[in-house]
Amino acid sequence: MDIADFATQTLNGLQYAMLLFLLAVGLSVVFGLMNFVNLAHGTLYMVGAFVGFSVATRTGSYWAALAAGPLAAALLGAAFYFLLLKRMQAAGPMKQVLVTFGLIFVGIDAVRWIWGEDSQSILAPSALGESVSFLGLVYPAYRLFIIALGLAVALLLHLGLERTRLGAVVRAGVDDPVTAASLGINVDLAFFAVFCLGCALAGLGGVVAAPVLQVYPGMDVAILIPTLIVVVVGGPGRLSGAFWGALLIGMADTFGKVMIPDFSGFMIYAVMALVLLLRPSGLLAARHGS
Amino acid sequence: MLEARGLRKSFGALEVTRGVSLALPEGARHAVVGPNGSGKTTLFNLLTGELRPDEGRVLLDGRDVTALPPDARARAGLTRSFQKNNLFMGLTVRENLALALAIGERAGTVFWRRFERMPGLLARAEALGERVRLHEVLDFPVRSLPYGTQRQLEVGLALAIEPKVLLLDEPTAGMSAEETQAMTALIAGLPREIAVLVIEHDMEVVFEIAERVTVLDYGSILAEGTPQEVRATDAVRRRYLGERAG
Amino acid sequence: MTGGEDFRRHCVAAVLLAAALMGLALLGYSGRDRLAEIAILVIFAMSLDLLVGFTGLVSLGHALFFGLGAYALAGLTTMAKIPPSLAMPLAILAAAIAAFLVGILAIRVRGVFFIMITLAFGQMGWAYFQRSRTFGGIGGISGVGQPDLGAIGLSLANPADMALIAIIAAALVYLGMARVTASPFGRMLVAVHQNESRARALGLPVQRYKLAAFTLAGAIAGLAGVLAAERTNFVSPDLLVWTVSGEVLIMVIVGGLGTLVGPALGAAVWVLLRDYLSAVTPYWMLAMGLFFVAVVLFADEGLYGLAARISRRSTRDA
Repeated sequence: MDIADFATQTLNGLQYAMLLFLLAVGLSVVFGLMNFVNLAHGTLYMVGAFVGFSVATRTGSYWAALAAGPLAAALLGAAFYFLLLKRMQAAGPMKQVLVTFGLIFVGIDAVRWIWGEDSQSILAPSALGESVSFLGLVYPAYRLFIIALGLAVALLLHLGLERTRLGAVVRAGVDDPVTAASLGINVDLAFFAVFCLGCALAGLGGVVAAPVLQVYPGMDVAILIPTLIVVVVGGPGRLSGAFWGALLIGMADTFGKVMIPDFSGFMIYAVMALVLLLRPSGLLAARHGS
Repeated sequence: MLEARGLRKSFGALEVTRGVSLALPEGARHAVVGPNGSGKTTLFNLLTGELRPDEGRVLLDGRDVTALPPDARARAGLTRSFQKNNLFMGLTVRENLALALAIGERAGTVFWRRFERMPGLLARAEALGERVRLHEVLDFPVRSLPYGTQRQLEVGLALAIEPKVLLLDEPTAGMSAEETQAMTALIAGLPREIAVLVIEHDMEVVFEIAERVTVLDYGSILAEGTPQEVRATDAVRRRYLGERAG
Repeated sequence: MTGGEDFRRHCVAAVLLAAALMGLALLGYSGRDRLAEIAILVIFAMSLDLLVGFTGLVSLGHALFFGLGAYALAGLTTMAKIPPSLAMPLAILAAAIAAFLVGILAIRVRGVFFIMITLAFGQMGWAYFQRSRTFGGIGGISGVGQPDLGAIGLSLANPADMALIAIIAAALVYLGMARVTASPFGRMLVAVHQNESRARALGLPVQRYKLAAFTLAGAIAGLAGVLAAERTNFVSPDLLVWTVSGEVLIMVIVGGLGTLVGPALGAAVWVLLRDYLSAVTPYWMLAMGLFFVAVVLFADEGLYGLAARISRRSTRDA
């Protein structure tokens, strides 16, 4: 592999990592706060992509789709939160997870019903349609956009966590849920806001990924598995865990596919197995155990 | 029987256990007291293996068990009761006791015979129930029992495995006066060979059952000795028992 | 577990068996084939019940061992040319070994993480067989060898005989599992489920028991997979897809966790419901999903649990 190939693959890995990050961060932080994993998180990703597709087709604008996808996902998440999740708080995390699992089935068929079986796509905006050349490398501008977007989101989330009051509540909630709850004020609202933000990010991921990956019923589980691996490997509950975990898995998957084509796609499972063997609580585990 | 040497444990920046050493001979009746947050339960967790110390060692019967997980220590003869009831809630009292006995007897490798037909198991469960004064509620689901009765079962389960060292974490927590009396009698009636270490807040109970007392404060030992000695120590009087006239 | 409870379960199991045998006698070709499918899923569901209902380990990747059993049989008979009667136990052993290896890793995490890890392992298996040229990729392998039962006058190519074998196998597995779950070993699993930390504090080597349950469940799922391969004479990656793991979990929960006979009931109900709904609408998974959510929310003891509760209440009032 020469330098140019290596650089290209690094960028590919980074791009995939950013996509995984968008999905993993919501899942991970919500788990840290509410001790609950929404297995239908991939469904939100899928819905974001399909809604984005519809909006893009109707308006001809990628940017409209980029706004619509996350919004639709957030609304769906909010509806789920109020109709089901809040009512199930007493039932415990396992039941909540099972319910979300049932919703995966519902989601796939609902999407099939509304949009049909076919694979769809969203066109990248014309501004980003070309490839750029830099440092002797030619690389699609759109993929650079994905990387930039992911990093920007990571930075914004980091600042939000460290500098805002909501962020302080979230950090307190992850480190010590009991005390956070006893502080009372608006902790519920904070959790709700975080949950919806996580859903929006999943939807964003869907739209962002659409020009690069396929949009089809079933894409939810295809992205869910690597996302879950990222959460487990990076350690749940932490932004940094989601970020570095996504980076590790994104790179491992990309380079694995290139370097060991026969076992392509298995690198991420190998990484997962290795982490389980050596550090089951994740590479950057949150302080309170799972 | 049980020995702790120089145990240290920190959670992040907070050092909860600061160099605690303890010796529990066979047949000991030893109480650990101290205000909330003094690190009593953490000490227990270090002794039973639920927590690993940052420094220090735990020795059971002369053997270094610091690296052993709780189940291995239990099999070696060290077990505990919990501060908050930690029972098999979905079962009856009899089933709880039988289960604990079966675990203690390593009966779990038997996979073809019916549990109820394990020779003598149910009879021994009943006998154990009598020892901990639960013989009248043997067939009640644990969930339906009053708190104090559940606490008795809490101790009963630990006794089932015939430990050499028994750690009781606030056995009278949340109990009424009669319940406390019943528990105190139960503890007083424990087999003499067992080394017993009790975390207690109720000083009356301590004076009734303990032959030695260790006072913890902010994770280190403030005083140690017989209950009378400790009660008389200035440091203890100032810090824990409060200023008393005369 | 009270004797009355056990008796009630055995009665229901006997009724199911009787219904199956009656169906075998009365139904036609496709009905018998359906019976065989149900019987195989009953075995699969009961194996998962051991894991989920008794030990409390919720796995979303159980289809891995189901599929591995099937593929192992296919591989051994078509590629290694091993006679089916020998290949069948070997395939089950292969599934057990795989369960042991996966289990070692999976039990290092608990609760929701265990769910996630088993889901990932399941998908890993599916991805492998999809891609594997050795195992036929997406097309799978056909012509799986069937044991020659001519000596007892049966031929597995005949759906009636296949159904009979599958039903007998299911009955035997039920009896065996009922025995094991009522044994001290079974009680240890319940102890782990009910209160893992107390069991540990009493000296139970909890991880060993979890691994044993995982391995045993995987082996029995492998048996179901072997029978499934026999039934259709064909294996494909579709046996390992996550929806299969999901469906069997739904069968167990809808039927009634920790009862053995509940999941058996759940398997039958699932297949019949699926057949009915898919004839009515192409979106039957949506209906199934909603049904499952409703059960989890309102009747988490499952159909059997619900029926048992009603019958207990009526015998009390009577």
